This record gives sequence, C-alpha cells and structure tokens, in this order.
Amino acid sequence: MRLTLQMLISHGRMARRMGLGPESRINMLRNILTGLVRHERIETTLARADEVRFYAEKLVDYAKKGDKDEKAMKMASFWLTEKDLVPKLFKVLAPRFETQSHGYTRMARIPNRQNLDRAKMAVLEYKGNPFPPLYPAKKENELTLINQLLKGYREERAQQLDAKL
Amino acid sequence: MVLSFCSVYLLPPSICPLSSTGFASAAASLRPLPAEVRSQRNAVFSREQARQRALYPRIEKIEVSMHGPGLDGTLLIMNRGMSTPLSCARHLTEHHVKNSALALVDGEPWPLHQPLTSSCSLTLLTFKDSDPTLVNQAYWRSCAALLGQVIETAFKDEYTVELLSTPEVAVTSGAFCCDVVLDPQLDSWTPSEESLRSLTRGAQQLIHQDQAWEPLEVVPSVALEVFSHSRCKQEEVEQKASQNPKGTVMLYRCGDHVLLSGGPLVARTGLCSQYEVTALHNLGQGSWGVQRRAQGLSLPLQLQAHHTVWRKLRQRAEKLVRATNLCFLPQTVVQQS
Repeated sequence: MRLTLQMLISHGRMARRMGLGPESRINMLRNILTGLVRHERIETTLARADEVRFYAEKLVDYAKKGDKDEKAMKMASFWLTEKDLVPKLFKVLAPRFETQSHGYTRMARIPNRQNLDRAKMAVLEYKGNPFPPLYPAKKENELTLINQLLKGYREERAQQLDAKL
Repeated sequence: MVLSFCSVYLLPPSICPLSSTGFASAAASLRPLPAEVRSQRNAVFSREQARQRALYPRIEKIEVSMHGPGLDGTLLIMNRGMSTPLSCARHLTEHHVKNSALALVDGEPWPLHQPLTSSCSLTLLTFKDSDPTLVNQAYWRSCAALLGQVIETAFKDEYTVELLSTPEVAVTSGAFCCDVVLDPQLDSWTPSEESLRSLTRGAQQLIHQDQAWEPLEVVPSVALEVFSHSRCKQEEVEQKASQNPKGTVMLYRCGDHVLLSGGPLVARTGLCSQYEVTALHNLGQGSWGVQRRAQGLSLPLQLQAHHTVWRKLRQRAEKLVRATNLCFLPQTVVQQS
C-alpha cells in the first residue's frame, strides 16, 4: 500500500485505540463496565473511563426497555461478564434512572498514578450511588451580613403580601 | 452639579423665637465654633491616649495564643500595652490584616486597635466566618458612627448639630440609624435627594481616606471633660458608665472626630465599600429638640452586592426603622406603632 504521510499523522481521528485491537478494546471495556455495574464507582485511567462512559449510558438506555425485551437482554448478557449483575441492572439501575433521559454517569479526575507511567486517572460513577459525594455541595452561610439583610427583605415582602391578601 | 462637601442646600434661616431647648440658652456668640470643639476634644483624647501609653514605660512581654482555621497552637510573643490584635495579624499574613474586622480576646469582643494588656487567647473574626453575628453587629454600629460623623461635619458653622446615642438595631431591619437633633432654625427643613447624596459623598470620602477607629477606654470624668460642650453627650456618658460593670466608657476617634459607642467598632473605615445615606426621618419633638433619624445602608468590601440586589435593599432602607431598644427615645415617640 501507499505509505502516505496521512497514515502516520492522526489529526482529527476521534476513535481511541486500546489494547491489542478492536476486539481486545471491546473486551477491556466489557470488563470495566462489569466492574462499574457491580461497584457503582470505579477508578481507572482517564481514557478508559471516558470510553466506558458512552457504553455505560447506552447500557442503561437498553435496560430501560425492560427485561422482557429480547434485544435488551442480549445486550445485557453480552456486556456483563458476571451474570449475577444482569438482574441488578434491570431491577436496580433502570428504575433509578427512570426520570432522567441522559447523564447517568459522572466522571472526576484524580491525581495521576504514582507508578513510572504517571497515567491520568479518573473516577467513574453511576449517579445516585450510596457513597459520599465526589464534589461535596457547599452550603452558603445564612448568617453573613448580606444574607441577613436579604432575609429581612424577604420577610418584609412576605408580610406585605400577607397584608394585601 | 457638584456639591461641595460642607455646603448643604438649606432654606434661608428664619428668625425663630427662643425655645426652651439647651441650645438657644447659649447665644450664638457664646457658642464655640465646631472646629474649636473638635480640636478641644481631639486634644483631650490625645492627652489621655499618651497618658495611657506612658503607663508601660518598659517593654514587658506577653504570650498571645492564636485560635482560628490553620492557626491553632500558634504562640506569639507580643508587648504589653503596645501590641494590638492588628499587630498580631501583621505577624501572620496580609489576608489576616485585610480581612479581620474584630478580635475575640478570651471570648470577649475586642477592637482591633486596642492594645492587649495580658497573656490571652486571640481569635481574629472576619465577615465570612461560620458565625459572623458579632462582626455584623460591630459593622452596623461603625456605619452608624460614620453616619453621625458625616452629619456632624456636614452643616454650616451657624447651625448646631447634636448627636444622640445611636440605637442598637438588628441587621435584619435593613438599615442602620443615627439619631440627631438639628438646630431649631432647621426645624422645618426636610432634606432633598441632593442633600442626601452630598451626605453620601461625604461618607464615601471618609471611607476613601481609610481612617482607623482608635479605641480608648476612659474613666467617666475624662469622658465628661471631652464632651464638656455638649450636655446631651455628658448625659449619655453617665448612662453608659452606669451600665458598664467596670464603670469605664469607650471612646473612639476617627480622623479628628471623637465619638462614644455602646460596643466595639470595626477596625477601619476602609472596610466599608458600598455606603449610602438613604433617609432622614422626622421623629417628632424630643427632650432636646426635634429629633431626626438618619438611616443608611452599607456593605463591607468582602461582601459586595450586585447593583440589582443593592437597589432593592436600598429601597427597603428608606423606610423608617423602629429601634427595639427604646430607652434612648424621648417619651413622645415611644407609643408609635
């Protein structure tokens, strides 16, 4: 074949190459996805977590179709290597995300791996998991001067509205 | 149209009959000029301050243990009678110097510029602590004191201004207030928006000068000497002295203006950023004359508000604030509801 420069430069190519080839890549992602469904929060390299995210959300979309659907059951049994997680997927994860249409997972970067490779690491989790939050929600202090003034303002407005009614 | 700070648009003074208030008894020629009164008060204050400093001729060391986020266990060796909580903050970081508004010495609120007298534990309080109620109250008091200073210096020399005690108002009421009694010639004067704006500009000038509020704890006799020209202030000194368990009175000086306060004030005028004088209400006839309540709204440098929020709060601050502490109001005003 023609050994063009385009073969060596990969500008604009979005697809990641992982493992030994495409089949190896799918097997790796399958293992990671199984781990995610079992533990609901896992820690891997950034690239793998980013790849698995797409498949994790698609899996939940399939699970929402219900376990009576043949295609959904086939997908679930293909992607989850440990078969005791298939009921967990259909009975726990699918009802949890019933009201949401997308965005079932959350990814957060963590400090790089301490090995020689210093790989970028990330934490991937399904939302609604029982662990403490990754980003703790900061509560605004009610007692600062500006919040106290606003509290008085709101109370007065409420009083005025009550007086009107 | 730029108004100069010392001139306020006033109605031409009408010839008023002599009333039975304390001012007209001293005829205009006998009354000292405000500048003279100010310099006299300043002189007494400086003299007393120098005398108190001279009580520690040799440097004695005290140990100050710091408390606070990241500071627990820090021990500072400071000078007795000379080091203030501000100097302790200067040993730490610039963040502590710029952001601390008040100090807690052994659990007691302590102004930042007052010298420490013995080994103690120190906590520096800011506006963004988990419980800033003390700081908020001190800030409100300082803004009211600033308002009093602005009003006292705003009028022309021929009109007397008497500052009554600033009522302690809760922060949720929306505005700090300062009670003042103006010259009988101004009884029928109502401030226009221009005059309120010129008062605001005066306050902003003081804030820009970033003057420190220097505290001084004095015995009542010295305080009575400071306010020897004002009978109303002397009564206030006696009242405060009787309320204080130690029997002393706290005086504060800002620039060249000496004032009395019921509690600790924050460190500098530069801590306020947004400041506006919102209204001057007429409360009616009191024991000293026609009482007016000047109200204002202010926010510190660290907690600035967006202009939409500020406009709403300012509109609320124009309404009359009823003080919960009624013992300083004259009898005629108490029954208002």
